[in-house]
Amino acid sequence: MSIPMDFSQWVSDDGSHIHRRIFTDPALYELEKQHIFAKTWVYMGHESQIEKSGDFITSYIAETPVIVSRAGDQSIHVSINSCSHRGVPVCRADQGNTRRFVCPYHNWTFNNKGDLVSIPQERKVCNKPDKSQLGLKKVPRVESYKGLIFACMDEQVESLTDYLGDMTWYLDCLFDRFEGGVEILGSPHKWLINCNWKLPVENHLGDVGHGPYLHGSLLQGTPAVTELEQFGHNVVPKPGHGLSVRLMPDGTPAEQCMLGMDGLAGMDPEVNAYLQESHKKVSARLGEVRSRLKPLCYSVYPNLSFLWPNMTLRTSHPRGPGQTEFWSWFVIEKDAPAHIKEKLRMNYTMMFGPGGLLEGEDSEAWSEQYKGSNIDFTDDRTFYYGLGQGEAGPHPEMPGSVGSCFDEHYAREFYLQWRQRLEQGVNHHA
Amino acid sequence: MPEINLELISRVEQFYFREARILDNRQFNQWLTLLTEDIRYTIPSRHVPQPDLQKKETEAFLSVEQELSQGLETPYRDEDFLILSIRAMRAFKSNSWTDSPPARTRRFVSNIEVLASEQPGCFEVFSNLMVSYSRHQQDNFFYTAQRKDLIKPEEESFKIAKREVILDWNVITAPSLSIFF
Repeated sequence: MSIPMDFSQWVSDDGSHIHRRIFTDPALYELEKQHIFAKTWVYMGHESQIEKSGDFITSYIAETPVIVSRAGDQSIHVSINSCSHRGVPVCRADQGNTRRFVCPYHNWTFNNKGDLVSIPQERKVCNKPDKSQLGLKKVPRVESYKGLIFACMDEQVESLTDYLGDMTWYLDCLFDRFEGGVEILGSPHKWLINCNWKLPVENHLGDVGHGPYLHGSLLQGTPAVTELEQFGHNVVPKPGHGLSVRLMPDGTPAEQCMLGMDGLAGMDPEVNAYLQESHKKVSARLGEVRSRLKPLCYSVYPNLSFLWPNMTLRTSHPRGPGQTEFWSWFVIEKDAPAHIKEKLRMNYTMMFGPGGLLEGEDSEAWSEQYKGSNIDFTDDRTFYYGLGQGEAGPHPEMPGSVGSCFDEHYAREFYLQWRQRLEQGVNHHA
Repeated sequence: MPEINLELISRVEQFYFREARILDNRQFNQWLTLLTEDIRYTIPSRHVPQPDLQKKETEAFLSVEQELSQGLETPYRDEDFLILSIRAMRAFKSNSWTDSPPARTRRFVSNIEVLASEQPGCFEVFSNLMVSYSRHQQDNFFYTAQRKDLIKPEEESFKIAKREVILDWNVITAPSLSIFF
């Protein structure tokens, strides 16, 4: 189908009406790759995954496979995983340590900066190819924020910290919470969901309204739900990014402010003692307000998300309009004792990741949403995103635009951002 | 050390076939009675590691173990009796949306191999598992896995004291690993 230049039919001017086809249309999907994934900062991985020189992980920018590697001088490089000779992937592992990436087809060999170091056939021919022009294609911009590595295909993109804006104030709640930082333990958990990539992101931007219902079998009637309704806020720190937090009132006992990570694992006295102890240091590092802040879920535009209570970081890699390769990791304080790490990860594996109970319910809802979006005769029935319209505003203690916990402004701003990116991209190219 | 003879092997096989039938019939509470209360149920995550050249030319070069999460690396699942019970009981709630309507599952258990165990009176059992999983109209998926169990003779039958499920995927091409393998 041809794409009309009027993008207001996809996302209404106030963001309250979203066309079903933005989740299903192949032509819009191609524009997303071109004007969103190739233009914005995309999360690659965490520095704890590539601490030593030679360490690498593989990742994606949309559907494009990349190698994220640490070179001998400690610099981080992101290169497209495709040989300059015939396009074969030169790295076939999820992670590891190596000085050389060797193409299996003709043995062209690249170093961990992506530079071409040898062509075996070169000795047998007269014309010597200019190897300096034949490295892996590099992703030109790579920057980190508190251990989170991002890359951008657009050399002209603003700095990562400008891009994140006030999101950093909230990211620090985990990524600057502990003196020794946090770490990722193990390879990503990866699974396919038959949904559009935007829906998992939208869900983590602040969709807490589904909690007691979709997850009713586990959450209905729990104190967590009451607490959220009482103290919860949906925040848009910068249009596109979004999050949901609970800001506990002044004077709330420390054990009710412990990042909300306690969960089932927190019933273990050792884990509980660890959480209480580590919480004592928070106000010195992050200030009094953030010692009362219990983050719930975050998304960073376009496709990075977090769930705080279950300590998981996740990315939504598109695989066409109707499929998502979802990646998820468990994150923990680096200096936490080993037995605490092992016990706390239960809050993740039981509820999230491919075997998680809550995750299974989310995945189901997202793929059912795709079914409902991908039907005929409903083009006149846009999805309603108007809950809480006009209610959000500044807050005395937290940066960004702050609304109630059921205010869908996080999604309106996300899709308006989406529309603006495509609109600008298409008109720029027209 | 109890003798591993054909009669024992046959009893173990019957135990596994019964377990599969109970799970396919969605009798999850009955399934819980096949577990010891100190069961450890794990599904390690699986990835593609960089080949370790120091091990080349040996069988260790291709070992499955190096592809599985070890130690503190995050597994897909790591559960005790309490968590398995929560999963089982949850399935019967009307608002348990991933189980209502329920999946149509069919488990095929094969390659049952009974070995002596270091744990007195217990047996180590390897088995292969294939699960056909079908939900809604045509959301159909297949799982394949190896299971490494520790089983304990109890009265006329056995109980599962330990289960490790080795799945055969890197990217999981099914919507969830939330079922009982």
